[in-house]
Amino acid sequence: MPSKRIYASWFTAHFFLLAAVCAAGIFSLVAQGSTILPSTLEGCAHKAELVAAFILGKEAGASSPVRQGIATYLHAAGIQTGYTFFAPNIPGYHKLTLELYYPDGTVEYDSPHVSGKAAALRLASLLDRLADERYEPVREVVVKMLVLSVWRERPEVKKVRAIFGTVSSPDITDFEHGRGESFQPMFSYDFSVREGDTHDDAHIP
Amino acid sequence: MIPSRGAPGMQKRIIEFLFPEETDKWLAVLRIGLGFLVTIYTLFLWSDWHYLFASTGKGLLSRQLGEAMASFDSPVIPKLGWLVTLGGYAHIGEDAVLSISWACLLSMGLLLLLGIFCRQAAVIAWFLHLCAAESGGLFAYGADNFITTGLFYLMLSPLPDRYSLDHRFLKIRLKDASLFGFWRRVLQVHMCFVYFVGGLAKCLGSGWWNGSNLWLSLTRPPFNLISPDVLVRFKYALPIIGISICLIELGYPFFIWIKKTRLIWLICILAMHAVIGLAMGLYLFALVMIVFNLAAFGFGMSKGPTVATDAPKVDSGEQHPNVSGLRRGASPFHG
Repeated sequence: MPSKRIYASWFTAHFFLLAAVCAAGIFSLVAQGSTILPSTLEGCAHKAELVAAFILGKEAGASSPVRQGIATYLHAAGIQTGYTFFAPNIPGYHKLTLELYYPDGTVEYDSPHVSGKAAALRLASLLDRLADERYEPVREVVVKMLVLSVWRERPEVKKVRAIFGTVSSPDITDFEHGRGESFQPMFSYDFSVREGDTHDDAHIP
Repeated sequence: MIPSRGAPGMQKRIIEFLFPEETDKWLAVLRIGLGFLVTIYTLFLWSDWHYLFASTGKGLLSRQLGEAMASFDSPVIPKLGWLVTLGGYAHIGEDAVLSISWACLLSMGLLLLLGIFCRQAAVIAWFLHLCAAESGGLFAYGADNFITTGLFYLMLSPLPDRYSLDHRFLKIRLKDASLFGFWRRVLQVHMCFVYFVGGLAKCLGSGWWNGSNLWLSLTRPPFNLISPDVLVRFKYALPIIGISICLIELGYPFFIWIKKTRLIWLICILAMHAVIGLAMGLYLFALVMIVFNLAAFGFGMSKGPTVATDAPKVDSGEQHPNVSGLRRGASPFHG
């Protein structure tokens, strides 16, 4: 058995990194003001989040070997994200509705779909990610690919409007009073066929 | 870090805590559990495997997009694209590579389940699962990270265990008992992090104190397996259940170490995951958490079975009168 010191050192480094990841997650929630803690703590939480990010090498340049080394280890160990599942509060879920316009003027509604329930859970996870500000740079390309997946099944469609939004579920009292879900659009894109390619225009309400 | 001078008592306590002598029962639970999980993970995704991981223009999204995002963190994080490129050198198409990857992952799950070539199977399963999780990073959710973590610990653990076919038929010797203890400690401490952080984050949300978060979790698609009309009947129980979840998770890293409260805490946490799995359809997530908990604090913790190992005992300079569970003085909460 190799020296116990080596094992102990790895143990310390491993859980130090895990603690930094978890702390960054908690501080991020506080800094966003999504907790019950007073808003005066948000500034401190933001600074603490930056410290945790520094420990994880995220403040270094993208090509920094330290940053890449830590990131690789975290991904390899599956500890790159914290454990703040379903916390601190449950947001609404997200929906991508596709309006399919046919040449004869018919309009159909559809949404991206998969075969199995396991993959459906992953598709819902993808849609929830799209609403996150951090994924804003890839939103349009992701929506475009999701539209393409439906378009391949209906090549005769000439235009597709993709509407992405949040669905807010009623709370228990509202539900008892017969209120249903409400849909708030976040953004939409228009895609149309242009000589074998697609052309898209973004509409952000 | 272990202090070498000035605190021999502290050093002894840390060594005792990190390297208790353990049986390999927990490792068998982890191996069989992860083998089962990897098997059902691949089987559940069979119908959508190619659709999820195909390249641009062929599938639901684009494997390259997920891989580009993973590469932004680090270019050396394993991805399915590596295997596709490798297959290209041997004139094997993308579809064939994806099919082979799926079949390999399924085979590794079955090998782990039976305990054949445990170490090799654990390493390959970890690699392939990581490739899939990273290439489909946009589709990933909590269960993927936990499976990666589990396979990461499993491949580093002192395999094989006595219940594996490797040990029974190939007569591969078991490792030192304190190594079994070390890797169980790693899993135990990891679980404490998971629940403490999860519990703390929930406690910081108002919705967990008044039951509204529980209502929203159970009524939002795709977790809405129970009819809201049924939930309404139990509306007065929702705040109690919500607060209980917070307390069970937050209290886990404290009460799971205390022998008197361990069993009740373990039962509560297992019941919580079983209900999550059944009521919200998060079967994979529930199963991985149940396997982790059983391996970390379930088997061989409350009684004191004798350590039986083929390997010569490594002289650690310590005496281990009670080889199973947590000895007095070995808890992080003892002075």
